[in-house]
Order: sequence, then C-alpha cells, then structure tokens
Amino acid sequence: MNPDYALLAQALLPEIALVVGALLVLGLDLAIFRRQEPAARYRLVMNFGAMAVTVALIFACSTGFSGPVFGDVLFFDTLALITRQGVLMLTLFTFGIACDARRLRHPAEYVAVILFAATGLILMAAAQQLLLAFLALELASISLYVLAGFDKSRPESAEAALKYFLIGGMAAAFLLFGFSLLYGLTGSLILPQIGMMLMPQGPSPLLLIALVMVLVAFGFKTAAAPFHLWAPDAYQGAPTPSAALIASASKLAGLVFFYRLLWPGLGMSAGDAARLPFTIGWVPVVALLSGASLLLGNIAALAQTNIRRLLAYSAIAHAGAMLLGVIAAGASGPAPLFYYAFTYAIAAIGAFGVIALVENAGRCENLADLAGLHRRSPLLAGCLLVFILSLAGIPPLAGFFGKFVIFAAALKLNGLGGPAGWLAVAAILLSAVALYYYLLILKQALVVRTDGPIRRITVPPAATATLLTAAGLLVLFGLFPSVLLGLFQ
Amino acid sequence: MNVAAQSLWLIPALPLAAAGIGALTPRGGRMLAAGSAITALFASLVLSCLALNTALANPAVHAVHNFAWFDLGAGAVRLGWLLDPLTAFMCVMVTLVGLLIFIFSLGYMKEDANFTRFFCFLSLFAAAMLGLLVANSLLLLFICWELVGLASYLLIGFWFHKPSAAAAAKKAFITTRIGDLGFLLGILWLYDARGTLLFFDGGAGILEHASLAALSGQTVCCGLAAATAIGLLVFCGAIGKSGQFPLHVWLPDAMEGPTPVSALIHAATMVAAGVFLIARVYPLMEADKLLTAVPVHALTVVAFIGAITALLGAVIAVGQNDIKRILAFSTVSQLGYMMLALGVGSWVAAIFHLLTHAFFKALLFLGAGSVIHAAHHEQDIRRLGGLRGSMKTTFATFAIGMMALAGVPFLFSGFWSKEAILHAAHALDGSPALRSFGVVGQLPLAIGLAGVVLTAFYMTRLVAETFFGSARTAEAGDVHENSAVMTVPLVLLAVGSVALGFLGTPAFPWLQARLLGEAEVHGHSLLEGGGLMALSIVLVALGLGAGWALYGRRPRAAAAAIDPLAARAPGVVAALADRLGFDELYAATLGRLSDLLAMLAAGLDRWVWGGAVNVLAGLGRALGLISQGTDESVINASFDDAGAGLRGTGQVYSRAQTGDAHGYLRVTAIAFVIIVLIIVLGGIR
Repeated sequence: MNPDYALLAQALLPEIALVVGALLVLGLDLAIFRRQEPAARYRLVMNFGAMAVTVALIFACSTGFSGPVFGDVLFFDTLALITRQGVLMLTLFTFGIACDARRLRHPAEYVAVILFAATGLILMAAAQQLLLAFLALELASISLYVLAGFDKSRPESAEAALKYFLIGGMAAAFLLFGFSLLYGLTGSLILPQIGMMLMPQGPSPLLLIALVMVLVAFGFKTAAAPFHLWAPDAYQGAPTPSAALIASASKLAGLVFFYRLLWPGLGMSAGDAARLPFTIGWVPVVALLSGASLLLGNIAALAQTNIRRLLAYSAIAHAGAMLLGVIAAGASGPAPLFYYAFTYAIAAIGAFGVIALVENAGRCENLADLAGLHRRSPLLAGCLLVFILSLAGIPPLAGFFGKFVIFAAALKLNGLGGPAGWLAVAAILLSAVALYYYLLILKQALVVRTDGPIRRITVPPAATATLLTAAGLLVLFGLFPSVLLGLFQ
Repeated sequence: MNVAAQSLWLIPALPLAAAGIGALTPRGGRMLAAGSAITALFASLVLSCLALNTALANPAVHAVHNFAWFDLGAGAVRLGWLLDPLTAFMCVMVTLVGLLIFIFSLGYMKEDANFTRFFCFLSLFAAAMLGLLVANSLLLLFICWELVGLASYLLIGFWFHKPSAAAAAKKAFITTRIGDLGFLLGILWLYDARGTLLFFDGGAGILEHASLAALSGQTVCCGLAAATAIGLLVFCGAIGKSGQFPLHVWLPDAMEGPTPVSALIHAATMVAAGVFLIARVYPLMEADKLLTAVPVHALTVVAFIGAITALLGAVIAVGQNDIKRILAFSTVSQLGYMMLALGVGSWVAAIFHLLTHAFFKALLFLGAGSVIHAAHHEQDIRRLGGLRGSMKTTFATFAIGMMALAGVPFLFSGFWSKEAILHAAHALDGSPALRSFGVVGQLPLAIGLAGVVLTAFYMTRLVAETFFGSARTAEAGDVHENSAVMTVPLVLLAVGSVALGFLGTPAFPWLQARLLGEAEVHGHSLLEGGGLMALSIVLVALGLGAGWALYGRRPRAAAAAIDPLAARAPGVVAALADRLGFDELYAATLGRLSDLLAMLAAGLDRWVWGGAVNVLAGLGRALGLISQGTDESVINASFDDAGAGLRGTGQVYSRAQTGDAHGYLRVTAIAFVIIVLIIVLGGIR
C-alpha cells in the first residue's frame, strides 16, 4: 500500500478546515479575544466557529471527490458526501443557536470542542475501516460528553455528562470487543473484506455475540431502547446547544455509520425479519430494538411534563422508526433512512433552538413555561409549530414524508407477512399516540394565555436566520421530497 | 407556445404572492395590501392577454407543461399547466372582471376595519380560481377547487360577527362539499382506472383518445359505461359549485358577504368553476354519446339538471324582494342555462354565455352594490325607488346589465349567447341521445323558452321598483352617486356587456370557432333559424311588457303597499318568497337525518370508541407512569430526593456514581445478556 497523501488531503479538506478552525479559535482566544468584554468575546468566538464550519461546508459542497481514500480506510460515496454536508449544516445551525443561547464560561473551548465533535462525526460517516471508525466515533463521543457537561454552574449538566459518559464508555467497550471478535473471525478490518470473509462461515455463536455487542453500541448511539437510559437525563441537563447537537448531528452520523457497518459490512449475516420464523442474524435484533423503542418512547413521552425529557422520549420513538429504516435499507437503499434522519435532525435542532431562546429570556423547563409563546414571540411560536408538526409527521412537512418513505420501504419487504410489516403498522398507530404529546407542546405555545404582562422575547438575527432556514427546509423537503431522495439515484 | 405554457404558473402565482403580502400586512397597511392585490391581478391580466394571443395563433393545440411532483412507489404524481383557447379566454375574463371588482372594492370597503384582510382573501380567491383554470391535471384542479371553496367561505363569512353571515358561509362550504365528495370519488375512480390524472400528456392523458376509448368500452354496474359513471360523479362537483338543483340552496344565502364578493362569486369565479370543469372534461362527458345500449348518458343528466335549475331559479326570483337575492336567483337560473348548453352538446355556447354573463352579472352586482352603498345598506327593493334621478351612471349601467340579462335583442351580449344556447337545444347536433327521445328531447328547449319570459319579467320588476317611481323611505331619498372608483368599473363592465356579444353572433362566430380550435370563421346568415329567434324575441317582449304593466306603469306608492302580483295570487307569491321551501325541506329531511346520524355517531364515539380509547389511554398512562416510575423513583429517586441537599459538584459525582448510574449500567448489561440469549437460543433452534 502506497498511500497518496495529496489525495487524502484533498478528500479531507472539510475535516482539515474544522481542525484548523478549532486550533485557531483556541489560540486567538488566548491571544486576542480574551481581552474583550465577555459579551463581545462570546460573539467573536461563536462567529469564528460558524465561519470555520461554513468554510468546511463550502469545501464539502465543492469537492466532487468520490471513491476510496488511503487504501480502503475511507470511502466517499454519495451517502458519505451528503451526510458530511448534512452534519456540517446541522453544526452550523448549532452555532446559530449557541450564539444567542445562555452564555457559558470558556466559550473558545466550547467552540473548539463542537468543531472536534463535528470532525469525528463526519469522519465516522465515511469510515470503512473498523479502527478509524472507532477512533472517529470516540472523538465524536468524547467531545459530546464534554459538551454535555460544559455548563459548570449547573449540577444537572454535570450529572448529564457523567451519565452520558458512563453509558457511552460501556457502549464503547462493547463496540471495541465486538470489533475485536470480528477481526478475530475474519482477519480483516476493512468492511467489504469482512463481508466477503464472513460469507462462507455462517452464523457461529461467536459471530452472533460479536453482532450483539456491536448493536449495543448502535443502540446507545441512536438512543434506542433499552440502551436509551442516558438520553432523558442528557437532554435535560446538557446546555441546550449541546443537547441540540447530540439530538441531531450525532444521531444522523451514527445512523449512517451503523448502516454502513451493518449492510455493506455485515449484510451476509443480516438474517431476516420480514418473515416468521426469523432467520438468525442482526436484523431480528434490530427489529426487537425498534419495537421496544417505538413502544417505550411514545408511551413514556405521554407522562412527561419537562419539555426536554419529552423531546428525549420522542427522540427514542423516532430512533425506533429509524431502526426500521435500517432494516428496510437492505432492500431499498439508504435514501429513505437518510431522508428520515436528516429531516428529523433539522426539526429536533429547531425545537431545541426555540427552547434555547425562550430559556434566554427566562425559564424553559416545563411545558407550562411555553405558555403564551405566541404573544411573547410570534416568530418563535410559528417556527415551533413547524418543527413540532414535522416531528409529529403532519403533511406537507418533511416529517410526514420521512415516515411515509420508511414505512413504505418496510412494508415493501413482505407486506404484512412478518414482523417488519407489523412494526410499520405499529409505528403508524403509535404516531397517533405521539400526536397527543406533540400537541400538548403546541397547545401551551399557541393556545394557552397567560395572565399578567407579556414579556416579549427579542430574537436576534442569527437565531432568526437559523430557525427560519430550518423551518423553510422542512417545508421545502416536504413539498419536494425528491430534492433529497433524488440525490441517491 | 411551450414556453408560454411553461410560464403559465405565473398567472395564479402573482395573486397568490399578493395574498401572502396581504396576510403579513398589519391592519394599518391598507394601501400596501390593496395596491399589491390590484397590481398583481393587473400583471396577471397582462400575462393572460399574452397567453390568449399565443393560444389564438394555434387554437387547435393543447400546449402542456407537465412535471413530476413527487415519486410514489414506481410511479410519480405528475402535475402540469395547460394552455389552449378555453383556458386563455377564461383567464382573461377572470382577471379582467376580477380587476374591476378589486377596484370597485377600494371604494365599497373603504370604511371597513379589516380592509387588508379583505384584499388578502380576494387575492387568494383569484389565485385559486386562476390555478384551477391553468391546471392540466384533475388533481391540481381539485386542489385549487377546494381552495376556491375555502376562500369563498372566508369571504362570505367576512362579516362573521353577523350570525347570518357566519351561517351562510358554513352553508356554502358544507353544501358544496357534498358535491365535492362525488367529485373526489370520480377522481379516485379515474386514477384507479387510468393511473394518471393529467388531461393531456402526449396521448396518455385522460382526455385523449386511448383513455376515452378504454373508459367508454368498460361496463360497470347497471349497464353504465365507466365513462358515464365517472362523468356523473365529476358532475356532482359541478352541481355543488355552480349552484345547480338540488344543491342550489347555498347560493342565495351567500349574499351575506360584502357585495363585491357576491359579484366575484356569482359572476367571474366560483360558480363559473363548475361550468368550466364540465367544459374542460367535455371529451370525457361525451365519451359515451355514441353508445346506444346504456341506460343513460352523462350529458342527458346534465341537460335536464340544467333545465330544471334554469326554470327553478327564474321562478323563485319573481317572488324575492331583496335586490341581491333576486340577482342571486337569476345567477342560479343563468347557470342552469349554461349547464343546459353543455348537456345538449354545445360547450362553446356554454362558455360564450359564461363569458358574457360574467360581465353583465358583475355589472349588475356592482350596480346593486353601488345602490346599497348609496342607500345606507338598504337592500329591500320595496323600500327603495326613484333612484333614477339621483344615480344617473348607476341607473344607466344597471339598465344595460338588465337588458343584457333579459336578452333584449341585437345590441346586448346576453341576447346572442342565450340565442346560441336555445339554438343548440333546438338542433341537438351534439347530443344524439336527446335527439332520439323525440318530443321529450325538446323539453330543455321548452323550459329554456319559459325561462326567457320569467327572466325579462323579474328584471323589469327589479329595475322598475328600484329606479322608477319616487323614493319610498328616507334612506332612498337621501342618495348620491358614488365616487369614480365605483362608477368607472361599472361603465367598463357595461361596455363589455354590450361589445362582447359581437364576438359570437351567428354571422361571425369568432369566439366559438377559436374555442373549437378552428382557424377560420364560418358564419351563417343571421336569419338562419330565424323562427326560433323571432319566438324568443316575442317572449322577451312579453316578459318586459308584463313586468312594466304590473310594476312600471303605476309605481308602488309606499314601502308597505301590497305587491300587485301578490294581490292576484297570494299563495304562489308567498311560496316563491319562501324559495319554494327548499331550505325547510332540507332542514326537515336531510338536516333531521344528519342530526340523527350525528347523535348516533356521538353515542358511538362517547360510549364505544371513547370507552376503548379510555381503556387504551389508561393502559398507556399506567405504562407511562410505570416507566416514569422506574426512571424516576427506582433509578432517580435517591438522586432527586437528595438533590436539594447536594453541595458542590464533587458530591454530585459521588452520588451519581453510587446511585442511579449503576442502575443504568446494570440495565444495559442485562439487556445485552437477554439479547444474546434470545439470538443464540434462536440460532440453536
């Protein structure tokens, strides 16, 4: 193997831009920004971070590079390229929210860690070699643990970070163990080669254990039941922009990575969940996780009064639908899965953005804190309407079409003849349940009136642009789904 | 021509943008809302004229621009725009009449607090109507159709603080919705049968030969051809929207809206939509006309429904006293004539009448609006009178509109378009089915001729009571002509009401030839079919004379004086004033039935479904509580209880480590073991 470093640098220009940006912001903060007023310093640093992401996004959009890089360590196909653009866009949204969220101490470090997290996430989505994949995953995960605990003035933040870290560490251990078993079984770290080596072997118990170990990490990364326990605490305690990043970009990149690992890599031992009895493999396990997540997420969300915990359980429910998409992706390709995950991520980040801005003007813990939002800020209330309705899957927003393509793909496997179809039906029925708790949010924001004077919320320009862009994208993708789906053809 | 078809979407898009601007404008921005609405519609008018010019260059061509809206399974849902003379003429008419109505509204709605909202709704209405006209897909047409319904609901109920307006809006919406249900069924059936809803698609569209042959060859229940069944279902939509019997009841009530709305709904847009729909899908409606073994042809039904409506509307109009209601029932009647023309096989006559009617009926409504505005919102013709002297422009233009509607010969457009319909009903060239009926086939013509007398009669009565004699109340005495912003549109519409007729006389049927796609005009002698024309002229004279004899010669003395017709036949007039009891009949039968069904549904809802949902909800809540309980009491409880007492981050860490986090990790590990057991045991089996 004779690696071509020039090619590598060309392919990884966005990642390089992010890392350089992260290092620069730390240096500049030490040298210059630190002497500014705290408010000005905060704004400078955030703008710098947003600029770095913008540069990376421009690189990511302009490079037409595709194919394997550096041996087979990285592989840039349509999915990897689009995911990179998507993750960068979501990171940019995060900065748009963070600009105007409650200010944290050490803003430069916060920006740098967000940039590192984004680097890890986009590398993860393109990785094709287990070692690099693990490193990228850990780069992203450790950055996210730090982000979750960044608000040192609130004990909840520390609690969130610790729980996220402990479970994440355990999941990483499982994943590494699973990878080492795979390496032991096949003698290769490159996904397509692993697939080829596994073909003649059949499902040995050792392979099955390796699969389950990988899936534990998968469940953790996507917050699927029963590995979801960290999510409500992390969403509740983490600073809002961190929670937004965890809920959106991390989920998208994680799904894409595990899709790549499971189908192109371990597709030979997928098994089958479209018919009964199961053919053993990882698909029945994912179906199990999917069903558990759909049920637990939707039902537990009904009892929530804290808005972030509610969003966390809704995220678990959405993870269930995405896992269904992973199952169906073997037959219909990753397009529905990506569409669902990306549009979900936009809606989630938008909802967290609204929370961050409301929080900035007062409190935003419980649903009741949203009361009268339509009079405090019609813009926020309007955007929240779009985000929540998209999460609920109401046409013509993108959330509806995401559900539609995933369920259609799942039903196409074998109609109602097996668990995959049943899961799709269950998911459709549970969407009706979900509408209840989503409407609870909207009822507070749009219907309930508050007594006393109205404390108006002023929405700064960066946040306005972010929220309007996110809402606009949801409408656009909903009206013209082929804008996204067509990229995969 | 294809470039023109491609950019056709601009015609509805501009008013839509104006509606958006109007929606975002605060109440104070009156000029912005009205200005953008009028500018946008004017731009649409210019574009429509350009489109008409393009379409007339090749009148036989249906220029289309189709595109995929989104993919669905293996296929795609496709929409498109269509440019042909029918679309182009209608667009020009709607934008022109609409523009004049918009300008009139500037004066009429001047004092209204919700001026900006009004113009927002008006623009939305115009956008929906124009979208309906340019659609090359039954689906897109249906979407715009429903938007027209929505906008009409908003406009009729614009003064929603009046309970009667709110009720009228609801009635219009629900009544048309009944027809729409049939329409939707027809659309679904068509999509199921043909897999597309595009009208023209290079041979594959639903109005093209292959599809029509397949649909008319297929027999469904009762020996009906599929084309007949679908055509009748689509016609249900037109019955609702165009106020045909038996769904005509909403139209007179729609007078509760501001008068410009009445003009817009009853002249140019909503009610015309049904006639336009049938003309647009005409190849489908007449696909079954050569079949002989079928029990009924779609067009025969259309003809008889139209004839009944034409007569019914005219009869009821005789007994009304509200100036707008008389015009409303005359609209019902004229729409019946248009449907009659469609049914007897001459859709070009229907469209000709639609276009002329749009002008003179808009003129009449705006004239009525002018009267109402000047007479301090007095609408009862018995309480008006003598306006001739004080409102000269309004009187002159109203009289022109009245003569056009009554069909006064030669000079007025209404005469020529009505003659075209009567001739088509007499010749029955386009309807072999009706012709084979013999005398019964001439029934629509006979009804149409009877309607001619009644129309002339009630319009004479309207004009005589309103404008002649002397003022009978203080309101009518104290009137002044309105400002130019209201009278200029009247004059322009009056010019159109006269001039438009000369585009379609038998000697020079330019309009009909272009609609049919012929490049040359083949005229006939004016005297061809002169017998029928002479008969109808006599009938018009009879109606005018009778009206003048009863109401004009000896004008009403006081507002409370008894109507001369009522003095002669009190029972009949009372029944007519009561609108022949259709509302009461519907309330007693359908209303009662639906109340019963509603009660049944409510009962089912409350006891059966509600019970089931409550059980499920209770289950869900229990599960939720259990889940929350595990989360918060078992795992989190120690943490939360101690939370208040915690001091410092270090303690948090230690508490988290010794407390709940262990639980989380334990759950993870146990889940892992269970999954491994499931999968390994499953594998061994």
